[in-house]
Amino acid sequence: MLLFFLVVMGYSAQAQNKPVPEYQVKAVFLYNFTQFVDWPQDAFESPEAPLVIGVVGGDPFGVYLSDAIISENAGTHPIIVRYFHDKDNIPDCHVLYINTKSPERVKSILHEISGRSILSVNELPGFTRWGGTVRFFNENNRIRLQVNVNAAKAARLTISSKLLNVAQIY
Amino acid sequence: MKLKDTPIQRKLMSVILLTCAVSLSLMCIAYSIFEYYTYRQTVKTNVSTLASVIASNSSAALAFLSNRDAHEILNALKAEEHIVAACLYDKDGAVFAKYPVDSPSTLFPSVPVMEEKFWFEGIYLVGFQPVLQKNQHLGTLYIKSDLEAMYNQLRNYVLIAIMLIAGSMFVAYILSKLLQKTISEPILSLEQTARIISQKRDYSVRAVKSGNDEVGSLTDAFNQMLAQIQLQNEEITRFNQNLEQMVNERTYDLQEQKNFVETIINSSVDLVTVFDRNLNYMMLNERADHYFDKKREEVIGKNILEIYPHTKESGMYEDLLRALSGEAVHNARYKSKLLNRYFENFYIPLKDKMGMTYGVLTIGHDITNIIEANEQLESVNAELLKSNRDLEQFAYVASHDLQEPLRKIQTFTQLMGKNLDNEQKVLQYHEKINQAAVRMQQLIQDVLNFSRISNSDEAFIQTDLNRIIETLKIDFELLLKEKSAVINHPVLPVIRGIPLQLSQLFSNLISNSLKYTVNKPVINISVTYPSREELLQHPKLNESYRYVKIEFKDNGIGFESQFNEKIFKIFQRLHGKQTYSGTGIGLALCKKIVENHQGVIYAVSEPEKGSVFTVFLPENIS
Repeated sequence: MLLFFLVVMGYSAQAQNKPVPEYQVKAVFLYNFTQFVDWPQDAFESPEAPLVIGVVGGDPFGVYLSDAIISENAGTHPIIVRYFHDKDNIPDCHVLYINTKSPERVKSILHEISGRSILSVNELPGFTRWGGTVRFFNENNRIRLQVNVNAAKAARLTISSKLLNVAQIY
Repeated sequence: MKLKDTPIQRKLMSVILLTCAVSLSLMCIAYSIFEYYTYRQTVKTNVSTLASVIASNSSAALAFLSNRDAHEILNALKAEEHIVAACLYDKDGAVFAKYPVDSPSTLFPSVPVMEEKFWFEGIYLVGFQPVLQKNQHLGTLYIKSDLEAMYNQLRNYVLIAIMLIAGSMFVAYILSKLLQKTISEPILSLEQTARIISQKRDYSVRAVKSGNDEVGSLTDAFNQMLAQIQLQNEEITRFNQNLEQMVNERTYDLQEQKNFVETIINSSVDLVTVFDRNLNYMMLNERADHYFDKKREEVIGKNILEIYPHTKESGMYEDLLRALSGEAVHNARYKSKLLNRYFENFYIPLKDKMGMTYGVLTIGHDITNIIEANEQLESVNAELLKSNRDLEQFAYVASHDLQEPLRKIQTFTQLMGKNLDNEQKVLQYHEKINQAAVRMQQLIQDVLNFSRISNSDEAFIQTDLNRIIETLKIDFELLLKEKSAVINHPVLPVIRGIPLQLSQLFSNLISNSLKYTVNKPVINISVTYPSREELLQHPKLNESYRYVKIEFKDNGIGFESQFNEKIFKIFQRLHGKQTYSGTGIGLALCKKIVENHQGVIYAVSEPEKGSVFTVFLPENIS
């Protein structure tokens, strides 16, 4: 009996520890934000207008992000992904993943999008302190979230309390 | 005891209690079933509500792979005691979080159901609840609730129901015990009254009315009935008294008539008997006591063959059967072996109105005396005929034999008259005449002796035959010496008889033997007691006597066997007077004497070989 349990536990531990690529998880999380966050109505041109997930500073996701959002909607809005050139101004989008490790660059982008209803996402430890909305961080090999509620409020984003429950509040 | 035999009080209480118990039980069962299903539904609703709350709460945890949060959310189920297990599956159907945390994965279904669904599985309610966020399927919640609480509650319901029923039954028992009296008491009191009336036959008692319900009207009707019965009873009693008097009078008349008829029947000298159709004795008149040794009371009702089995062979049974078939039978001469009497019997069939024979009336008229008188008359007649013949013979013979010496006397008297002068001849004729006269006298004497035997009134007495023969030896002394004769004899018996006649019998037989001989006579007398078979060869002997057989055997001239009978007839002589003297009466006399003693005499002989005279004499003639 004990042996059986050990075998079963061992198997399930193995299954859990199966290495899932970090960016695949992050891609899913980006999509999931669209489910737990409500944007103000004026963030969309029409009810059928797409919800845009923007990625700036190179594409770390490959197919993961497009796989995660494929044929998915957020309410009435179809979800699409757009990749922005690092030098350009940040066009209209709803979720913005800032793929850079440079704090200066992050700060400048945050500055650029401040006042706009954009959920910004980055991994840098000071990101939420600088006014970023959501920060990914690693804890026990798991990706966790840190949310700056004031930043979200300033961007007029309504974050579901359920999301807040699973996130660390800055 | 069957319900219909139980007292009405018990019956009423049983009905009330049974009704109460059944209705309460039905109610409780119905309520329990209703509760069971309602409760199941409630549990299902509760669990599914709980499941949707948990599922809703766990959407973010699933979405952002927050294991810890998921466990936290599931742990909140601790507050719900009856939830025994729960788990969250992720989008791909792998177990994401478990409750309780340390429970083995095998506790949960390996593949979740993707839709909302709850069902009962034994004592558990299990279900799946999809985890959705804005219609986005994030995973599935599995939840398992045990129904113990429900069953506990049901148990409580059943316990409460049983207590309720018990309590209600107790209250119902008390109430019914009190209330049934209002129904049963009037009925019981009515029943009591009815019993008293039927036991004491006192129809003046009245039942007490208790109310105006049905029992009240029953009581009224009962009382009215009683009044009517009382009235009718009085009438019947009056009527009965009249009737009784009439019956008494009629009975007395009938008894009188019966006595009269019985007296007539019983006074009859005839034997009157009535048989039923099975030939059982129905009635015998008093005359039966005269004939039968059995009491009439013992015989009545019994079958004739049981009482007198021999009637089956006697012809009486046959006559009775004929009478039973309806024929009147007359048997003019019936000899009853039992009574040794003769009856003239009449068998008259007794018929009912339909003409069916139901019995036989038998009248037996005793004709024994008539028959006996007839028989006596016949025998006297026969005797007279015989005597007549004897007399004729006697007259004929007597005229011949008695005339013979007379003719001789006449002849010699005439010859004497013609020769009176011849003295020698006169003397010769005189001598002849004298001889004829002596012979005449001898003949007359013998005839007298012979006839005297027939008319003898002498009594039979004990006679010693030895004395007779000794006397005879003395009487014949000279003759015996002259002829050198010998008489051998044993000791002779003593028998009842007439001594003089027995002496004449012996005398004649001995003198015959001495007379008809050419040798020296030897007479052997023997005495034997004949066997029954031997006696039966002589029908004239009386069966009721014991006989002695005496044989006289001599060595004389004998005679031809054809003369066996003739020698015993009077005046019959086998030889001329010149050869052997004699009157021809001796043996006839012997025969008469022996017959007078109810005996038999016969002779067996052959010429030149001697004769044997055999005499049977009764020892104890009365």
